[in-house]
Amino acid sequence: MYIHQTYCISAQQDLLQDDIEQINEPIDKKLLAIEPSYEKIPPGILRRMGKSIRMGVGAALPLISETKVDGIILGSANAGMDDCVKFLNQMVQYEEGQLTPGSFVQSTGNVIAGQLGLITKNKGYNITHIHLGLAFENALLDAMMQLNANASNSYLVGGVDEISPFHYNIETLAGSYKSEDISNKKLYESDSPGCVVGEGATMFIVNNSADGAIAKVKAISSLHSSDLDLVQQQLKSFLQKNLAEGETIDLFLSGENGDNRTLPFYQAVESIAGEDTAIVRYKHMTGDFATASALGLWYACQFLKNQSLPGHMLKRQSSKAAFSNILIYNNFKGVQHSFVLVSAN
Amino acid sequence: MSRIFITGMGIVSAVGNSVAANHEALKANTCGIQYKLDLFPSKYAGLLPFGLVALSNEELLKALKVTESGVTRTSLLGLYALNEALADSKISTEEIQSFDTALIGANTVGGMCLTDELYNDANAKTDGSDYLGSYDCASVNLFLQRHLKINGVINTINTACSSSANAIMYGAMLMNNGYARRAIVGGTDSLAKFTINGFNSLHILSNEICTPFDEGRKGLNLGEGAAWLILEKEEDIKGKNVYAELTGYSNANDAYHPSSLSDEGDGPFLSMQGALKLAKLTPDKIDFINAHGTGTENNDEVESRAMIRLFGKPPAFASTKGNVGHTLGAAGAIEAVYSILSLQHQEVYANLHFKNTIPSTGLTPVEWYTKMPVNHVMSNSFGFGGNCSSLIFSKV
Amino acid sequence: METAELKEQLKKQVVEFLNLSTVNPADIKDDEPLFGEGLGLDSIDSIELIVLLGREYGVDIKDPKEGRKILTSINTMAAYIEEHRTK
Repeated sequence: MYIHQTYCISAQQDLLQDDIEQINEPIDKKLLAIEPSYEKIPPGILRRMGKSIRMGVGAALPLISETKVDGIILGSANAGMDDCVKFLNQMVQYEEGQLTPGSFVQSTGNVIAGQLGLITKNKGYNITHIHLGLAFENALLDAMMQLNANASNSYLVGGVDEISPFHYNIETLAGSYKSEDISNKKLYESDSPGCVVGEGATMFIVNNSADGAIAKVKAISSLHSSDLDLVQQQLKSFLQKNLAEGETIDLFLSGENGDNRTLPFYQAVESIAGEDTAIVRYKHMTGDFATASALGLWYACQFLKNQSLPGHMLKRQSSKAAFSNILIYNNFKGVQHSFVLVSAN
Repeated sequence: MSRIFITGMGIVSAVGNSVAANHEALKANTCGIQYKLDLFPSKYAGLLPFGLVALSNEELLKALKVTESGVTRTSLLGLYALNEALADSKISTEEIQSFDTALIGANTVGGMCLTDELYNDANAKTDGSDYLGSYDCASVNLFLQRHLKINGVINTINTACSSSANAIMYGAMLMNNGYARRAIVGGTDSLAKFTINGFNSLHILSNEICTPFDEGRKGLNLGEGAAWLILEKEEDIKGKNVYAELTGYSNANDAYHPSSLSDEGDGPFLSMQGALKLAKLTPDKIDFINAHGTGTENNDEVESRAMIRLFGKPPAFASTKGNVGHTLGAAGAIEAVYSILSLQHQEVYANLHFKNTIPSTGLTPVEWYTKMPVNHVMSNSFGFGGNCSSLIFSKV
Repeated sequence: METAELKEQLKKQVVEFLNLSTVNPADIKDDEPLFGEGLGLDSIDSIELIVLLGREYGVDIKDPKEGRKILTSINTMAAYIEEHRTK
């Protein structure tokens, strides 16, 4: 499967930024997305959209409003959650009286893919994967399988999640976020539990044509486990299966997020990546959230396109002048693991 | 593409807590929808009818021997039906935990059934309840994963009321693409104050028992339940009970309105057509359609029109929403079980509470329990967001 | 309340309630169709407006089909409110 176009909305500019001084810092412990003006979303529809819906639709339309795709495949852990609690609050306030349906209709997890189908009149395959930290990976896998069955098709694949105030409250109570204020520059030095929360929407156009592609998604694997050895073992067999004889990982794109509870997993994976593998991190820019790995894939595409790595993203340099094979490893809450192997064509 | 068979089933619904109980209830025209709501306090208790599973949370916890805290009713119903499906298929613990066994489940309610806890936690009015990790829909399959120690691909799908049809489809795709050797697929949803008020705000809940495909239909009744299928490949089914073959599936979007279907039913038409194409069947080969048939003005008329568009004269069809209500994320899986029962026993079940044909369509659903040859059954599921899916099960 | 004043208030409430951020209440004409062409509202909006009339004016519209006639324009809404309001 080949990636041909990308678009993202995140806390940073949508280009590789070399200068860490230019990187947006968390505000009030949150890495909030920089939202564009959404000119392509019809105002009559925009008025009802919550943030994740707006971001998802807004990131997808630049790619699919002119180019037709055969289906829409999204991953989102919590799309609609904000409207869900808005509706819930209304229900409590008015004691189950006459309630406005707008937020109920927007509260289902499939709302972004549904809106995209509606706006672009796309009657093809339309699905939303919501399996938390593997929602985007399942969307990617789905696209691969769709392309195996329909070789000449193109699909929109993406991941979207927002920092909704309600979800933020729940996750704060659950201890998911750092309690201390922290700068992007110090994220990986903080030996404390929790991450800095982020949000964003990332979209890709994928098909089976190598011509002019930005990147090839070679393989995806996922696992649910809190057993470090099992994760290592699974990664080894994943690499064995998907790398040709003598082929190595040039770059390891790590989902390290500053949470000392998941750090051992990232370190364990680093140890397998090989000695001359560059190690790169991105979550000091994006923050972490269930579908942040979609932004990880976006960064991998940028690296392959530009063949350059901003210094502030590098954890370890390698001697290689160029790189092709990128391993993306993500760990969500210590239980959900994903390996994605990407290469330049 | 390898052939995919169903070797195990499990179900819990308003008409019974097992496949056998559901089968007897369908044959006996049992309606499980009642003016009774004791799961939580609600203004609508006694005023609106619901299809509740006759097991309290305490009974479920006890029966399932679940001691973990923070487990929602949605998860408990899911596990209850899953245990039956696993036992029925006789797959071993080793097979359940092997790296090539996938678990693909759907639900739309997740932990939203816990209205008060969610309200307090989301608005930061407490120090945190036991359910902080249980509100999102993925929590159900994460619970099932922990409970059964599943190691293969795990996924949660939400396409509103067609969610579990897509879960079945995704499981089959994983098997066809070599990502799984077998797949545990299905869905669960519990009744929630949230969905009651949501559907009510759209004026599509009936205050009477729902009457799918009837001229005088007034809307849907909400239900709850769960169902799972065990999918296995041809090479693995030797010596097993094989209930049916999954021969077709398709997903299409209606691209018309966030919460209702287009007049001509493009989405339903395309999903039914796509499933036939994959199954390599002509429309006349379908003996029976388990219709989505929610009992709303919009769904039943549009679904009828789409059936006429595709089939000319549609085959025998019926909705089982009059038995169990609309179980949302579980509906596709529950109705898959019902479709397979039709194939297994060569019979079709009555569309309850039907009186008069909708004049604009002239279609009459199956009115009585009938023994008849059934080789291919289509099952439809349509949801908000225009998400339409159809499955085809075939006799083995 | 004078009819003109009621209409002006209604326009503001409609804009606010339906989140019509690009619409200036004063630009809505009294007889402009709210649905289809004109403001371009849809069936979900019509239910939202029925809730608005209930909450703000104590007007109870049971049948959404009947509602659509009442909600044709600001004029029709104002006329119905004046006849049926309970608050």
